[in-house]
Amino acid sequence: MSNILRLSLPFTVWIIGFCAVYALQGIACSRHWPPGLDPRTALIAAAALFTAIQGLVLWRIIAAPSRTSFVQATATILGAAALGAALWTSLPVLSLTVCS
Amino acid sequence: MNQTGLHGTALRLHKTLARIWAPDPGWRGWLTTSNNNDIGRLFLCVATAFFVIGGLLAMLIRAQLATPGSAFMGPEAYNQVFTMHGTVMMFLFAIPFFEAMSMLLLPGMLGTRDLAFPRLGAYGLWVYIFGGTAVIIAMLMGLAPDGGWFMYPPLTSAAFSPGLGADVWLLGITSIEVSAIATAVEVVVTVLRYRAAGMSLSRMPIFAWYILVVSVMILTAFPPMILGSLLLEVERALDWPFFQVENGGDPLLWQHLFWLFGHPEVYIIFLPAAGMIATILPVMARTTLLGYGWVVAAAISLAVLSFGLWVHHMFTTGIPHLGLAFFSAASTLVAVPTSVMIFSWIGTLWKGRVRMELPMLWLIGFFATFVIGGLTGVMLAIVPFNWQVHDTHFVVAHLHYVLIGGYVFPMIAAVYFFQPLLTGRSSFFRLGGVAFWLVVPAFHVTFLAVHVAGLLGQRRRTWTYNEGQGWEVLNLVASVASFVMAIGFALVILDIAINTFAGLRGRRNQWNATTLEWAAANPSPNYGFASIPVVRGRYPLLKDPDLALRIAKGEGYLADTSRNRRETLIVATTTGEPSQVVVLPGNSILPFLLAVVTSTSFLAPLFKAYWLSGLALVGVIILALIWVWRLAPARTEGLVDAGHGSQLPIASETADPPGWWGSLFLLLADGVHFGSLLFGYAFLWTVAPNWPPPTYLSPELWPVVLAVGGAVALALAPRLMLRGIERGRVWPMLLMGAIGTLALGAAAASVMLARPDPASHAFDATLWLLAGHVAFHAALTLIMLGYLGLRRIAGHSLRVGEARIVGLWADFTAATSLLALGAAWLPGAFG
Repeated sequence: MSNILRLSLPFTVWIIGFCAVYALQGIACSRHWPPGLDPRTALIAAAALFTAIQGLVLWRIIAAPSRTSFVQATATILGAAALGAALWTSLPVLSLTVCS
Repeated sequence: MNQTGLHGTALRLHKTLARIWAPDPGWRGWLTTSNNNDIGRLFLCVATAFFVIGGLLAMLIRAQLATPGSAFMGPEAYNQVFTMHGTVMMFLFAIPFFEAMSMLLLPGMLGTRDLAFPRLGAYGLWVYIFGGTAVIIAMLMGLAPDGGWFMYPPLTSAAFSPGLGADVWLLGITSIEVSAIATAVEVVVTVLRYRAAGMSLSRMPIFAWYILVVSVMILTAFPPMILGSLLLEVERALDWPFFQVENGGDPLLWQHLFWLFGHPEVYIIFLPAAGMIATILPVMARTTLLGYGWVVAAAISLAVLSFGLWVHHMFTTGIPHLGLAFFSAASTLVAVPTSVMIFSWIGTLWKGRVRMELPMLWLIGFFATFVIGGLTGVMLAIVPFNWQVHDTHFVVAHLHYVLIGGYVFPMIAAVYFFQPLLTGRSSFFRLGGVAFWLVVPAFHVTFLAVHVAGLLGQRRRTWTYNEGQGWEVLNLVASVASFVMAIGFALVILDIAINTFAGLRGRRNQWNATTLEWAAANPSPNYGFASIPVVRGRYPLLKDPDLALRIAKGEGYLADTSRNRRETLIVATTTGEPSQVVVLPGNSILPFLLAVVTSTSFLAPLFKAYWLSGLALVGVIILALIWVWRLAPARTEGLVDAGHGSQLPIASETADPPGWWGSLFLLLADGVHFGSLLFGYAFLWTVAPNWPPPTYLSPELWPVVLAVGGAVALALAPRLMLRGIERGRVWPMLLMGAIGTLALGAAAASVMLARPDPASHAFDATLWLLAGHVAFHAALTLIMLGYLGLRRIAGHSLRVGEARIVGLWADFTAATSLLALGAAWLPGAFG
């Protein structure tokens, strides 16, 4: 089971982070956002946090390898790909305004 | 033993296994069989019938659009026809067809004798047949839905779509989704646990990886759609205003729920076809798959990425630029894993020596078509272009390039490739080649013309068009070519049918394939393998050409038939080490009966017969209890001889029986359903225009105490019961669990009583759904605890595995109940 988790975790973290940042944007543009908090800063912080978690997942995969070489190799590919995906899908947060 | 003696042993083994695994005689056998061969064949035939119906509907569409101002059909009929075409192809053909192929092929590929839960497979088949037939009958009676296959409200609300059409879609399709989820659970557990000895994760056939990924996708993509259908049906039937803006609802919620399902659906359809390609291509190229690990990684990443794209179907709904950019970025990302697969397949062809047989021809058709569809998909991911062509025929052409090129062509290749295995006969008539040269060029003529018509501005879902817009020639060409394509598809079906019944008896493994399914006799008998093979590589027949003979002689596991029952092996998930012997159920009418009552409970609301729906639900519970009661053995066997000198436990006597794994994945689907409900609530709260409601629900002391106390009791009871089983004392724990469920039910009832009118505002309606979730799961867990109590009364010894299964459900109920009730009280608690 841990090997299955190892294979599924990197992109699961990506989809959670992706949806969380999108949800945060939805709330930022709704009437429920706290007035004193800059939504763009919050979004950048959230994207950075999830990218960091993604990096942590990759680091854990490499640092604590599976005993099965196939699982280890595939999980490493997935961890690196998910980190790349996180960086790519975070780019709009840096380059666009939040609610226009 | 001499050669004659060996053959005698093999023959005796074959005869005994054939008797044990035989279906009931006569027509009754079709209703009671649960064997993967029988169920798979039925699934395949029914799905093909629906493909023919969907194809005929497509011809009606093209006949209507062939000329401007056509009087062939009126707008009402056209709306029904295009809605039914999409619905039939997506729900009644595409998914069931690959499920059928999986059912037929997976046990052989994995080296097991049947799928994990054979009766669940049979149940899924019958629910699918009843639901699909109801939808088709409704169409023939003029009651077809007409709101498009994605059924957007408010068009499909009771105000704008009166009558039964939309209800038929919502209830019929939901029942088919239940069938798909049942099959997905079955497939996931099969791939993870039911394999040949020594078949580690790295030795699994590539198709098994694909189908594992797809099945998990079904478990996570279908629940939002089921929730959406439930909300829309409840709104239509009871006026609970989930999508009515004036009462706190929002029609955009439907689009989110639908596309949370709808976009992964595209990959749910494509990935099994990709699995077929990755299986067939190396055999046709007389080599092995290039980059197996990379392809597995690509399939997993593509599957998850597909869940981050749903909003690209909603680019024109007024979403802020940042949201558009998120989903545009994610949409372009899918090109990466798709390209990894494509390059792996090209590389496989490059390193091999390709033989141009019929399956290979269809795979070339795939390459030529799917790559174009993929590229137009990248174009559609770019927001400004998407805005320009949204809802035009360009999108229609794109999706047909992806779905026909990426699914239908590879599946035809698969049918031709596996025909000798499934029927024992080789292609004799050569209609298939003619059909290919009719279908593929005609397809490209049709849909290239449709692309251009879309770029010139022709809107989709519009029943006619005027002269002088430059679309006349394009539409005529598309229509003529589509009829040629239809003739080609008809020839494919005719060719396969003729070869199935009148083809030449072929030799075993005529393609010299290297995966396990070809080690079985052709056609595969119901028991699959005379003994469970031992596997030492990813391509077992490549390194061990005599494996088939040794399996037939009973030199694998479980060749001893003296226990006179259907047995197969369960292995450790990662290593493939044999770990359990599982006893599979025999023929039974129960799956059929359960499907009848399930379908009745789904379809009765069409006629406002809610009492019948409730009665059928009671029938579902009673039959399900009989089902599991009969499956659970009364006595304990201990270890049994599995062959090769190993003594293994019977699966039902272990701590992780197949039922535990099945429950785990069913709860994954249930959890996604609940998560979608919370998402819908949060969406309405933050986005819906007429929100907040006049008042929120304030939490009161006693309901909160009941909720927390009930959840704690329910979570603790199974844990204590595990200790109690060792000491033979379980009644106090059962009672504790029962009290926990009742307390949760009472807390849920307090929410409903506090807001007695769910039709007044979307907030109230959502509260009822949250409370309904709690009440439903509390009742379900109570029934499970009651079942354990009944087993105890009947003198059966309770097993750790059973208690752990109930524990899973109890934990889920406790956790989601606290979340649901917390979500209901949260806004009121903070004003």
